[in-house]
Amino acid sequence: MTPVMARLRCLRAMRIVVVGLAAMLAGAGMARADAQPPLPGFIHDSALTVCTNPTLPPMTFVNGTDMQAVDGIDMDLAHALAAYWHVTLAVTTMDFTGLFPSLAAGRCGVVASGIIELPQRERNFDAVAYQDTALVIVARAGTRPLSSMADLSGRKVAVQAGTSYSARLAQENEALVATGHAPMLIAQYPTEEEVVQQVLIGRAFALASQDVELAYRREQLHGKVGVIFTPPYPEYRHFALYIRKNAQDRALLEQAIATLRENGQMAAIEKKWAITSDAAQALGASAPASAFRWSTFFGALTSAAFMRGAFITLAVAVLSHLTAIALSIPLALVLNGRDSMLRTGIKLYVALFRGAPTLLQLLFIWNALPQFLPFFREAWFTPFLATWLALSINESAYQVEINRAALTAIDPAQALAGNALGLSRGQVYRHVIFPQALRIALPPTINAFITLLKTTSLASVISVQELLAVTQIQVARTFEFTEYYAAALVYYLAMVFFFLLVQKRVERRFAWADQYRAGTHDS
Amino acid sequence: MTPDPAAVLSIRNLSKLYKDFIALDRINLDVRRGEKVVVLGPSGSGKSTLIRCLNRIEPHDSGSLHINGQAITARTDLIRLRALVGLVFQNYNLFPHLSVLDNCTLAPRLVRRMPRAQAEALAMRFLQQVNIAGQARKYPIQLSGGQQQRVAIARALCMQPEIMLFDEPTAALDPEAVSGVATIMNDLAAQGITMLCVTHEMRFARHVADLIVFMDQGRIMEITPPEQFFTNPQTQRAQDFLNQMIG
Repeated sequence: MTPVMARLRCLRAMRIVVVGLAAMLAGAGMARADAQPPLPGFIHDSALTVCTNPTLPPMTFVNGTDMQAVDGIDMDLAHALAAYWHVTLAVTTMDFTGLFPSLAAGRCGVVASGIIELPQRERNFDAVAYQDTALVIVARAGTRPLSSMADLSGRKVAVQAGTSYSARLAQENEALVATGHAPMLIAQYPTEEEVVQQVLIGRAFALASQDVELAYRREQLHGKVGVIFTPPYPEYRHFALYIRKNAQDRALLEQAIATLRENGQMAAIEKKWAITSDAAQALGASAPASAFRWSTFFGALTSAAFMRGAFITLAVAVLSHLTAIALSIPLALVLNGRDSMLRTGIKLYVALFRGAPTLLQLLFIWNALPQFLPFFREAWFTPFLATWLALSINESAYQVEINRAALTAIDPAQALAGNALGLSRGQVYRHVIFPQALRIALPPTINAFITLLKTTSLASVISVQELLAVTQIQVARTFEFTEYYAAALVYYLAMVFFFLLVQKRVERRFAWADQYRAGTHDS
Repeated sequence: MTPDPAAVLSIRNLSKLYKDFIALDRINLDVRRGEKVVVLGPSGSGKSTLIRCLNRIEPHDSGSLHINGQAITARTDLIRLRALVGLVFQNYNLFPHLSVLDNCTLAPRLVRRMPRAQAEALAMRFLQQVNIAGQARKYPIQLSGGQQQRVAIARALCMQPEIMLFDEPTAALDPEAVSGVATIMNDLAAQGITMLCVTHEMRFARHVADLIVFMDQGRIMEITPPEQFFTNPQTQRAQDFLNQMIG
């Protein structure tokens, strides 16, 4: 429960900051509050909820080691909008692919995550543009500029998964194939920094991205990449905020942005984040090569963000596995019993949850469940709880098999001997069967737990700030892949080794099963 | 037929079926307090099934079973029944995860709710009786077969039953171990406890038993004192059996 509480507390703290900011802005006379503007329908309980995937600087990213502090143009805009409507702001971070499902499920009022305004997206959602941009093709510094997109024929181009770039490039490919050229090889990666990394390490020839982002990235990339082509796509011109379809809300949001533009707030935000190419060049000159930065590594290792991420990883794994064990013992007893409807039901349960990919189960519980059970749309159903639920169910299906095998391995004569001594059914299980089954079940259970500990990284997809999510967000901010990956590795290994040690200690208590070690047990 | 009021154990027309197979066919037997009964017969004759029906580890299908004048049925409190009737298995079935002492104290503590110290004192008394008190802190895996069977007897005795059932207690033991267990059974018999014993241990049957029950194909063929059984069996089947056992 603690991480959930911590999360709630963080959100509350964030709101307080927002209220203060709103008051400050109002005090500065920027809102020039003649009258309260009418509130759009996506604002509930005086709170503007914004979903974002903070891995796209300068639009939205974590600018520091505090994972809760999302920064960037989108966040400044969100703050300004909340101040404009005199409401508080609540920001939820999540994987890019989770943004639109969350918007559809009503978990957020607005998606602000550096997303391009596109007609295809506007079929399902309303978009309001707030920032000009252009799509650019980027390659390593020194690459000769292209004269047209056709020059990319047969080359490998990296793009972020879930963005519209791959669809646009596919269109380009059709044209290439139609004119007898080889198509581009489009490789999709989950985060923008991974996309850039593919170009940096030479695995991809080029990447498709936005000029605004690239201008900012140049500082991190020390001038190692450059724009080689700007395709004349008329539709890739604006970043937009997305809301659920509602003409009135859309008009009110357009009105709000127009007002911010008129009173100079938009210009102030743009100025704050604009980075001139001169500055980027200067940084590039002083950039060290790709040596391992020990200070970054140790900084990550001892940072509050990593410790908190590791704690959440551990909490999710321990809670899920304990729940799974509690679920799986009665299930295993029924499975080992006589044929019944219940037994058939449990067989189906095990088959379903062992068969389906864990990630799919997690996404289903978080995104699909609320669509037909509104109960799960409420605020109490946090990503942490959803992960706990999904991993418990998933793990219980595996644990059932471990328990079943362990129970089957116990000689039935043991129960008979217990019965003959007058022990009740419950006492036979509690004092005779379970202690012996535990010895058999322990090694595969610890094994399953270690697997689960690493499976928790899937939870980053639904915005749980566990260890890998923290790592990726830090990498997005700094581009120091090796250092942050190494720090995460140290944490994962430390946790796994700790549990292997626990296993060894517990196994020592099972000396009774070993003729030679049993003698030394009680001396 | 009514149960014999003087009998501690009274069996009338007891039958047991496994699907189509008749394991026990209309068994009648009375056992008086303190009597030692040895059940003999070829493999598959229903000896073990009979023994197991007596503390309802196997429920019977028809007929009646009275212990201390009380009918044993599906409604009987099994926990009280089993405190009254102890059972020793062929394969000892000790609990491997518990020490010898804990094997003996588990049931008294759980079923009789005896405090640990009292249960341990009781257990040590019976472990001494079976000459294994020195191994009280060891685990079953560290003991020989004969030692394990002696612990199993002590474990059953710790519930202080009125009737002791033995299901081929020496069948899994080597000859040397057999004599140790047989000695203990002789001692128990001398103490006056009611005993029903399935065994192939002919010396024990001949010298300790008050009655020999000879079974074949789920039926009791004869119930006779041992002297008569061993010298002059009434049925040809018993004669053949004895020839095989001794010859």
